[in-house]
Amino acid sequence: MNELDNLRQEAETLKSAIRDARKAACDTNLVQVTVNMEPVGRIQMRTRRTLRGHLAKIYAMHWGSESRYLVSASQDGKLIVWDAYTTNKVHAIPLRSSWVMTCAYASSGSYVACGGLDNICSIYSLKTREGNVRVSRELPGHTGYLSCCRFLDDNQIVTSSGDMTCALWDIETGQQCTLFTGHTGDVMSLSLSPDVRTFVSGACDASSKLWDIRDGMCKQTFPGHESDINAVTFFPNGYAFATGSDDATCRLFDIRADQELAMYSHDNIICGITSVAFSKSGRLLMAGYDDFNCNVWDSMKAERAGVLAGHDNRVSCLGVTEDGMAIATGSWDSFLKIWN
Amino acid sequence: MNNKQMSTLQQQRKVVEQLRREASIRRVNVSVAIEDLKKYIQEHENDDYLLVGFHSQKANPFREKSSCTIL
Repeated sequence: MNELDNLRQEAETLKSAIRDARKAACDTNLVQVTVNMEPVGRIQMRTRRTLRGHLAKIYAMHWGSESRYLVSASQDGKLIVWDAYTTNKVHAIPLRSSWVMTCAYASSGSYVACGGLDNICSIYSLKTREGNVRVSRELPGHTGYLSCCRFLDDNQIVTSSGDMTCALWDIETGQQCTLFTGHTGDVMSLSLSPDVRTFVSGACDASSKLWDIRDGMCKQTFPGHESDINAVTFFPNGYAFATGSDDATCRLFDIRADQELAMYSHDNIICGITSVAFSKSGRLLMAGYDDFNCNVWDSMKAERAGVLAGHDNRVSCLGVTEDGMAIATGSWDSFLKIWN
Repeated sequence: MNNKQMSTLQQQRKVVEQLRREASIRRVNVSVAIEDLKKYIQEHENDDYLLVGFHSQKANPFREKSSCTIL
């Protein structure tokens, strides 16, 4: 097949060209540029609240936009909406499928979503006229598990799946508006850009991809990790993002330079990262690990600045509030902790 | 060409199209990219409570609730 051979050769040539172009843009390294920045010192946070109530492993959590309420999902088959200030449970929502892997809080506060091994993204309305919580829409269509979901607004949600695709849904009609294809492994996580025009995905093919939400195109692909990427999160200015992987490293990638800027790792750290989040300025990168801890990294000096130790099992999820005042961690030990 | 060969060809065409798109983007130098991240951090670090802490615990909405009540 002459054309096939030509195409394969062209692919290799293009990959080489991309490697060369990245090298050409690489005129310095992070440590050099940040050498004059003040070190952050020892970051010590205390557990301020422990949210008790789930009866099994917690798999996901997401803060609401007012930095007070959060939703968590557990394989006890429940979504719980918590008032983190008082530790009260505002809603305890029984799920049709207990195999939940992700949850999301709409920024309006009116909806939460979840999904998992049922391959479906279920939308729950929190503010019904009757005063109860009910399923307002089910979004079937993925042919693999739902690994992550994030609301763009009350009517649009982006999902990532074990079927190697991401999708943008119109919740009212239940239809997939846009399908994002290209990953060659399960997509494990996604993060919306601050301007909501793009999102980044991380997958088991060890790459992250930047997608244009409107036209469905993959704009850039970032290799570097040596194993599954489990978590991605945008840097607050939208120009960079961090990833966490089974290869025991977190990395910082810059979108305009189209390459990896930093790696956050240590010889003592040999377990996978499950979740990542930046502090409000982006100076701190928090990462949850399989070894029950959460490490706090100085993103600019690529050094560990602190540890949040307190869970008795894997830290499966974490999130920083929009106002930057606290971080929540969720664990297989069935508890959520709020720290600052 | 059979159907399987046709679809491998189509797939490979798509892969090459995507690589062409990715190869053609304009890249900014790493030095400029890092400077912009540094600038953003410096402009916002005073409001980053996890970094600088709270001036007083009264400002921390998650401070330990006191056990005293005012009668």
